[in-house]
Amino acid sequence: MAFYIIYILVAVGVFAFVAVFTLFGVYAERKVSAFIQDRLGPTETGKFGTLQTLADIVKLLQKELIIPAAADKWLFILAPIIIFVAVYMGFAALPWAPGLVPSNTNIGLYYTFAIISIETLGILMAGWGSNNKFSILGAMRSAAQIISYEIPAGFALISVVMISQTLDLQGVAIQQGILSAEKIKFLGVWDVSHIGGLLAWNIFQAPHLIVAFVIYFIASLAESNRAPFDIPEAESELVSGFHTEYTGLRFAFVFLAEYSMMFLVSMIAVILFLGAWNTPLPNIGVVKLADWTTNAAWGIVWTLLKTLGLIGVQMWIRWTLPRLRIDHLLNLCWKVLTPLAFACMIISGIWRLWVM
Amino acid sequence: MNMVQVMFYLMAAIALGSALYVAASKNLVRSVFMFFITLFALAGLYVLSLADFVAVTQVVVYVGGILVLILFAFMLSGRESLAGLQQRQNHILSVHNLPAFLLATLFLVVLVNIILMAKVDNLPWLKQAAEQRNIIQPTDGTIQNLGINLMTNYLLPFEAISILLLMALVGAAHLSRKEEAL
Repeated sequence: MAFYIIYILVAVGVFAFVAVFTLFGVYAERKVSAFIQDRLGPTETGKFGTLQTLADIVKLLQKELIIPAAADKWLFILAPIIIFVAVYMGFAALPWAPGLVPSNTNIGLYYTFAIISIETLGILMAGWGSNNKFSILGAMRSAAQIISYEIPAGFALISVVMISQTLDLQGVAIQQGILSAEKIKFLGVWDVSHIGGLLAWNIFQAPHLIVAFVIYFIASLAESNRAPFDIPEAESELVSGFHTEYTGLRFAFVFLAEYSMMFLVSMIAVILFLGAWNTPLPNIGVVKLADWTTNAAWGIVWTLLKTLGLIGVQMWIRWTLPRLRIDHLLNLCWKVLTPLAFACMIISGIWRLWVM
Repeated sequence: MNMVQVMFYLMAAIALGSALYVAASKNLVRSVFMFFITLFALAGLYVLSLADFVAVTQVVVYVGGILVLILFAFMLSGRESLAGLQQRQNHILSVHNLPAFLLATLFLVVLVNIILMAKVDNLPWLKQAAEQRNIIQPTDGTIQNLGINLMTNYLLPFEAISILLLMALVGAAHLSRKEEAL
């Protein structure tokens, strides 16, 4: 019985984390955008405006839940829940620290990738259920974009899996640090199994994975509908896309899903390319920095720091780059990213056969 | 009943119920979304039979691919044509449905016969495998096994399917290409 209680506690814990992250994520987004655009951002509520998003949430909770008269009631109500649950379930297989993973399954990466694709269905459901032309246009753009960008993202992930030879995310994580049972070679030549740190990360084990990482990062921006790929909710043409008709708590759920998705895709990138919970500090002679900073507590710290760093880059990109036009977006996906990802996959095969 | 059995009956009930709704409902779009639940329950059943890779593949291919494609087709066709489809009267007992009825009944007879004759618990190869302890545990990885089998025993069908898919891709690319001006 204790078994099930732990499962439920872990699930609640992940949900609480996601909710808290969203609160601070929205605040950070507003402050980052303010900094980039030379404004101040929220300043009134709380010290430096820190309570602003809390106030926003309280406001959202009080709002009336409006269902448009011509909407398909069931689809309209269920859509935000499906969108959020799809993203939330993705967290089940992600490792946080050595020995600390909600569900230790040996097809973790594949599972996460599959679960994320359900979000598309939720978005289409929201678009159709709202019975509103802006919603349906936004939903269709979003689905087209997510499906297209799954291909380069998938091939970038496959090129990592070919190097690490496992779909178990915890296995991938262990292979990138001093706990690895196998030999790790920096750039395929220098044995760094006992030095660890930055040098043992996947992107430095096989340098072509840097390209794969960039491809995955761009595709992940598109999958979480972030700028410069935010044409599904392009506010100048589509009001706010598939969630135009949502109010109150349901709108909050859509928002929660967007920020959890940002965290999820960044965390997958960290696990596969940037050494997961492994420390960036290498062992230097008698100064065993890597040995000292590799355990459960440090693992969580490193995972969080790296993931938040990537999210910071996502926000920076959002407020710096203009939105892509749809034909540019599809050109980028099919003519640039997909062939590059294929090349990465082939190099991975060669690397595995002759270099490692 | 242990937890696994409870899960099995729950999944089976969900799969059957949602499949019935898919077949009976007149609202086509809702049917498609209900089909998603059927597929998901089926994936759950696969997990219970220790075929986790098949379960995840089911979700990727059907939910992420095929269902979304069906929905696209719906959304690209106008509301009027959909409404026309939905308003067609559907009498269960009519001459049009006679062939379907016959087929369904015959298939039911075949299925019931198979279930009655199979004696699943006493199959010789099952008993043999159980005696030799040649069984998959819930903790075993199944992907290595799958990969090796795909590249050895089932290489020919695997390659044939990949050629079929390639043909479909070439066809799609050809159809979507603009006609060159002469």
